[in-house]
Amino acid sequence: MSAPAIPVPAAVEARAPGEVRRGGWIIRITVAVIVVLWLVPTLGVLITSFRPEDLVVSSGWWTALAHPFRAAEWTLENYSAALDAAGFGNAFMNSLAVAIPSTVIPITIAAFAAYAFSWMDFRGRYVMFVAVVGLLVVPLQMALIPILRLYADGATLFGLRIFPDLELNGTFLGVWLAHTGFGLPLATYLLRNYIGSLPSSIIESAKIDGADHFTIFWRLIIPLSVPALAAFAIFQFLWVWNDLLVAYVFLGGSRQNQVLTMALRNLLGGRGEDWQVLTAAAFISMSLPLVVFFSLQRYFVRGLTAGAVKG
Amino acid sequence: MTTSTNPGQSGPGVLAEPPPAAGRAVGVFLLRLLSALAIPVVAFAVLWATFDYLRDENANRAIVVVVALVVGVGGVFFLYWGMNRVVAYLPERLREGVRPYIFVGPALVILSVFLVYPVINTILISFKDAQSQSYVGLENFRFVFTDHDMLVSIRNTAGWIIIVPLFSVTIGLAFATLADRLRRGEAVAKSLIFLPMAISFAGASITWRLIYSFRPPGFGSNIGLLNGIMIGSGQDPIAWLQQQPWNNFLLMVIMIWMQTGFAMVVLSAAIKAIPLEIIEAARIDGASEMQVFRKIIVPSILPTVVVVTTYMVINALKVFDIVFIMGNAESDGTVVIAERMIDWFFVGLNYGRGAAIAVVLFVAIVPVMIWNIRQFREQELTR
Amino acid sequence: MRRFRLVVLPAVLLFVAAACAGDGDDGGGGDGGLENTGNVNVLSSGDPGEAEAYNAIIDDLINSQTDYVAEIEASGEAEQQFQIRAQAGTLDVYLLPQPGTVAQLARSGNLSSLEDMGFDIAELEALFGEYFVSLGEVDGQHYGLPTNINLKSMVWYPKDDFDAAGYEVPATWDEMLALSDQIVADGGTPWCVGIESEAATGWPATDWIEDIMLRTAGLEVYTQWYKHEIPFNDPAVLTAAQTFGDVMFHEGYVLGGPENIPALAFGEAPLPLFDDPPGCWLHRQASFIPAFFPKGVKDGVDYDWFPLPPIDQEGTLFAGELAVVGTGGNRPEVKDFLDRFMGEEVQCAFGGEPASSRISPNINVGADCYVNEILADSAAVLTEALANGTGGFDASDLMPAAVGTGSFWTGMVDYMRDGPNSIKGILDEIEASWPTE
Repeated sequence: MSAPAIPVPAAVEARAPGEVRRGGWIIRITVAVIVVLWLVPTLGVLITSFRPEDLVVSSGWWTALAHPFRAAEWTLENYSAALDAAGFGNAFMNSLAVAIPSTVIPITIAAFAAYAFSWMDFRGRYVMFVAVVGLLVVPLQMALIPILRLYADGATLFGLRIFPDLELNGTFLGVWLAHTGFGLPLATYLLRNYIGSLPSSIIESAKIDGADHFTIFWRLIIPLSVPALAAFAIFQFLWVWNDLLVAYVFLGGSRQNQVLTMALRNLLGGRGEDWQVLTAAAFISMSLPLVVFFSLQRYFVRGLTAGAVKG
Repeated sequence: MTTSTNPGQSGPGVLAEPPPAAGRAVGVFLLRLLSALAIPVVAFAVLWATFDYLRDENANRAIVVVVALVVGVGGVFFLYWGMNRVVAYLPERLREGVRPYIFVGPALVILSVFLVYPVINTILISFKDAQSQSYVGLENFRFVFTDHDMLVSIRNTAGWIIIVPLFSVTIGLAFATLADRLRRGEAVAKSLIFLPMAISFAGASITWRLIYSFRPPGFGSNIGLLNGIMIGSGQDPIAWLQQQPWNNFLLMVIMIWMQTGFAMVVLSAAIKAIPLEIIEAARIDGASEMQVFRKIIVPSILPTVVVVTTYMVINALKVFDIVFIMGNAESDGTVVIAERMIDWFFVGLNYGRGAAIAVVLFVAIVPVMIWNIRQFREQELTR
Repeated sequence: MRRFRLVVLPAVLLFVAAACAGDGDDGGGGDGGLENTGNVNVLSSGDPGEAEAYNAIIDDLINSQTDYVAEIEASGEAEQQFQIRAQAGTLDVYLLPQPGTVAQLARSGNLSSLEDMGFDIAELEALFGEYFVSLGEVDGQHYGLPTNINLKSMVWYPKDDFDAAGYEVPATWDEMLALSDQIVADGGTPWCVGIESEAATGWPATDWIEDIMLRTAGLEVYTQWYKHEIPFNDPAVLTAAQTFGDVMFHEGYVLGGPENIPALAFGEAPLPLFDDPPGCWLHRQASFIPAFFPKGVKDGVDYDWFPLPPIDQEGTLFAGELAVVGTGGNRPEVKDFLDRFMGEEVQCAFGGEPASSRISPNINVGADCYVNEILADSAAVLTEALANGTGGFDASDLMPAAVGTGSFWTGMVDYMRDGPNSIKGILDEIEASWPTE
């Protein structure tokens, strides 16, 4: 993407050449204020997860801040209750087994499609792409029953079997495909936007060098798209990791197949008022996505494409 | 336990050029095409055998993950590679015509099965009665536009799709720009804004109950943050989520809180894609920060802003969980379209009405799509 | 155009190839004559913690002796999950707490009838009573198997403080109102009422009105009410609703005031009973509510219950579960499991499980099976009510979903918020929302 030529106004203030104006105090304060606002709700949850039950139901969590050093204010029993949840280890593995392929497969498929929508010319590409994006609006719940039926029995039209009877309900493969299907519109949308904004000069020079689309895609576009791929990987992983409904419908809720969200949800029982345990469970469940976020977010660096333009 | 094996080059013995006679040309071409299809079909069969293993409920989960990654990802990639090879066997003039379909093919197939088919199914159901036994024409749609709760939900949803994207994108963009300029702590700051996205929905609902919670007098002290502030400043606690119509805004705050991280991350990546030299050049030439922002950054990331805004609008259109879980939406006046859809489909057991409401959602997306098409066309022209 | 055909042809071939491969693998499992898969999945909306205990019993008494494995899967999402599985055809068994929806589900073809599965209806009626079995009857076929029952007409009170204050358990409705007046005169507040329950907000108030309806109009009119043989805004219903309002809106009767009733979670409502001095003295709620009491309070010491007193006649409100079987569940092992599940041995074992909150509808299960005192007493009351014909099933659970889990609930919330004069209009609205068949 080459920035359009922008007419720059005449000098408003004298500035030493080459000086890069980085964060001043105003910026730091603004950032800090927004961060604090965002953090306060989560802080409430964090504090609640460390408080004993009788305190949680009888006083607001901010009162704990008034006496932070009183031992009776804090406890680890919520975390141990959550971790002791029946089948926690198995549920964790199940969640991983669902989340990792459900992240990687859609990215792969979407990257190919996004490249085609951006840089290949074929009939109906606009309509097809807009249709793909339009599918973002399909509510998940409307798709569950038809797909589950498809998984269990296949489909026939006028007596001719057009979809085989695969018995995919209750299998991991079924969940991966479902997550792929539900995640493709957003993936394609995001990746197409990014890939389409890469400098056309790169593609052109590669074509001149004789590369075909596949090679361009594999050797050039993918490395350049790492920030977008990383961004989408984070979102998809998060969404799948925190998802309850899709896993429950397609994988089932039996003890063996439960994912982590299900196991933690069942901790509550039918009561929904055990806030201290739920907050602990929420934090435990949050830990892995955060690790993923931290490790992938170093791909968000400036200059990935700048180098490509020069190189 | 099979792992991915290379099915070998079972392609046909190929001639470099098609034979001259037209009739035979078509015949040989078809033959070649069919036998060349053997690659993906065999690959599919191998994948199938592996996936059969993966369907075994008792398999060790760790191995399942590894096999899934190897075969799933590797297999998917191999599928593309194989199809690309097939395309290479095609005559010159068809090659580049078919290749794009190779790239988009799997995506289109999967979307057709998982999204297009349910959409068609839903549209069909919307013309049927409550138990999907017989056709009732436009009856359900008449209900959608005359029922009191439906009209309230349309009004509320309109509010959602305007307010939530507006705030999320604005705050996300502002934050991405500001954080970009921090010397240190950028990663931490962005992570903290991103944090709400990592909290599962159950966790988020708990979080905000702890803020909006209300207890009538006599039932213990109030543990919600807002009421704590009210009491601390000498006022009576309020049942926040029951105050109409302000409770709608309180719920929107939850979504803004959760979604701004997404906007920020995507816009941040786009901002970082702007070559530093351009910005520095502008600064050297004396442009103020505001001017840099308005005249360089925003135009460069405009396509991304369109993408993020579109996504936010669609999400706001589809919002359901937040409204469903915070009390009785009908009595509180917080109904939204998607919540009505779920309510009629799963709680009221009236499949026809639920589907009709879903169709309304599908149609509501059209203006957004038109806007997107315009943006793409413009972007491609200036590329 | 040729390019288009070029794409479609390989796609169709691919699908055909996959279809052939798929069918080959499966070895032709058709739809009729479903075979034993070795697994029975029982979906339940109950408490997952309890389900753990039940599964242990099932492992012990059933799984160890059969060639299949049965498991109770309990979760908060079960109701939605049940809908999805039933319509997709992948449901085995669901313990349905709202028998009113059986009709709608049966008519949409998503359930297997008990007759199809080979159950003898006469035998079932002998085991559970005709009334209960008839709740699952649709167009001459039966679709529901009674599996659980619980008592709703209970008023909980803080026994130690109650006795110390010299109050007496009322035997009639008027005595109960007199007791309330006395409590007010002594400076206290008699009633705690809370109906908030997320999307289900309003249901405890429907229980109140149903309880009153049984006592003012009698079981026959009550039955006409939920079968819609009388309209929802019939004078009998209005009377019951106004009687409810008389208690709720009476000055000083309800802690926190009636307008706050919809904002108070039902699980938090009984807590002031255990304050010192009690914030309130009477709480009308079903038999599962002790699970929400503070830890450490002892039944019979700190709290006790008395049956909701009669008004014009006696009445006993109860609720329960019907096990329904999906179209995919018509298999021999499912029937075998259900036979054992509803039998005395398993049901009595459930009663002997301390964590259990289930009462068996099987009349051969004696009250001595129950380890929990409250369950034992409730079981005694229930059996008597069923025998005397004064027991009525929770009406909102028997009405079509659009009313029973929809307009009736929201109507109650509106009633509490808008005050006693709004009830006529609310009943009219609910009547208008009743789905036309």
